Amino acid sequence: MAQIPMKFDVVVVGAGPAGSAAAYLLAKKGFRTLLVDRGRGLGDKELFGGRVYAQPLRDVWPELDKEAPIQRWVTRERISVVSGDNVITVEYKAGSKKSFTALLPQLASWMSRKAEQAGAVFVNEVTVDELVVKDGKFVGVRSGSDVIEADVVIDAEGVNRLLLERAGIVERLKPDHIALGVKEVLRTGAPQLEAAFGIDSDEGVAWVVVGDVTRGVPGGGFIYTNKDTVSIGVVLHLRHALEAVEKGILKDHVSELVEGFRLHPFFRKLWKDATISEYGAHLTIEGGLKFSPPRLVYPGLLIVGDAAGFLLSTGVNYRGVDYAVYSGKLAAEAVEYARDHGGLTYENLKAYEEKVKGSFMYRDLIRHTAAEALMNNPELFSKLPGLMTKVLAGIYEQDYSVKTPFEAITEALTSEGVDLFSLISLAWLAVRGL
Amino acid sequence: MSAAQAAQVKREEPKQMKLEDILQSDVWNVDEEPHIVIDYTKCEKCEAKPCVYLCPAGCYTLVGDKVVFSYEWCVECGTCRVICPMDAIKWDYPKSGHGIIYRFT
Repeated sequence: MAQIPMKFDVVVVGAGPAGSAAAYLLAKKGFRTLLVDRGRGLGDKELFGGRVYAQPLRDVWPELDKEAPIQRWVTRERISVVSGDNVITVEYKAGSKKSFTALLPQLASWMSRKAEQAGAVFVNEVTVDELVVKDGKFVGVRSGSDVIEADVVIDAEGVNRLLLERAGIVERLKPDHIALGVKEVLRTGAPQLEAAFGIDSDEGVAWVVVGDVTRGVPGGGFIYTNKDTVSIGVVLHLRHALEAVEKGILKDHVSELVEGFRLHPFFRKLWKDATISEYGAHLTIEGGLKFSPPRLVYPGLLIVGDAAGFLLSTGVNYRGVDYAVYSGKLAAEAVEYARDHGGLTYENLKAYEEKVKGSFMYRDLIRHTAAEALMNNPELFSKLPGLMTKVLAGIYEQDYSVKTPFEAITEALTSEGVDLFSLISLAWLAVRGL
Repeated sequence: MSAAQAAQVKREEPKQMKLEDILQSDVWNVDEEPHIVIDYTKCEKCEAKPCVYLCPAGCYTLVGDKVVFSYEWCVECGTCRVICPMDAIKWDYPKSGHGIIYRFT
């Protein structure tokens, strides 16, 4: 068996945000660190929605704002409810710049280059087939016939987590806590983009869309403005998408949903004359900690990023990249702690779990369950956009008589076939979740 | 990459693009061997065939009442493995350095 004749302190699997952050900090702390990725070039396998919250990244890279490939700082938040051609939009003009849009191949490349500059060995074109176990401890990784040994393996393999499954740590992925995101990047040009979205050159928009873009399947659509491109896409909860196909409700191919969104009469003028630069898809976590493996630390192994279930989805806020980076940071700190407290033993590495439990991510993942109540009620989810637009139609679309709000609401309830009781119970679930 | 950029068609009137045309915007380094293998004895017994609708790259197409699979345009999302009701999909990432090459997403 051919062996790379070098043993590392730490091998990190996956050069996404989580793995790159861990490798960067470990290399900086003096650990002999190997970062491997299956892509041919940097960032080849990276895809996400499009927005990153900056502050947790600054904890790792204080130079972020000056150096990172930031597309646009988000200054405007929009949320739209769509029912047929009817659209309700709320816009919030933010007072500060907390998040930015990005193209993940670029951002992840920047992060993994940072790791390399800090002294980590970066090797691409390596698909890890297996985590290597010896005497009940993880001792390295195998790719083909090559085995690379390390005192600690950091698993940053991402959402599909084949390696954890093969190691018997997690079960096969189920559709319950998983959503599918399908995305198009549309090239419009910066001046056209700014004119269409009504923003200045130093502004950016993050836009969440719910309703008919998913044909009633729980999920949503998104729009993020980059410098001269727009990222758009549709996210479907796989459990509900599967049921919709089985019941014959979803009869179109999922790409047609994204196309329907791109061509929607209200939205299409935002990217008039655009060309499609790229099309892709990625699975995303919807269950938060329900998706987490039983433990985050095993002898010789730490689990970070998507593979660990670190993604928050509230229905309005989506935090994945910053959670990934922050978990990579906590893992690196735990390895440092272990070294400084007698060695990289299982007992010492457990500091990672403690650090996670004391972090803002963990607290937020536990606190935010409001979206789940709605997502777990697909029938109501599909009816709510129609209901809301009908209420506004009742108020705004008038010939002679002006309806009272009460009339508008009760008429909308009747025409959409929603009884007041289920609406109140949903509101209760949402309030309880909040 | 230049071939893909050249393939980008500027639209005059907004109309829905076929998936095969949308996929022209992407770049792959296709492996000679498939990274996904279908067990057709299991697959044939499936009624709903959700892969046909939910695989974003359209790797699963219906020919008559049978699913035909091609791996070349796979975007490596993992959806098919998660939704297959028959557990008929043996799914792996492409061999080192192969598969989709994202540039903008």
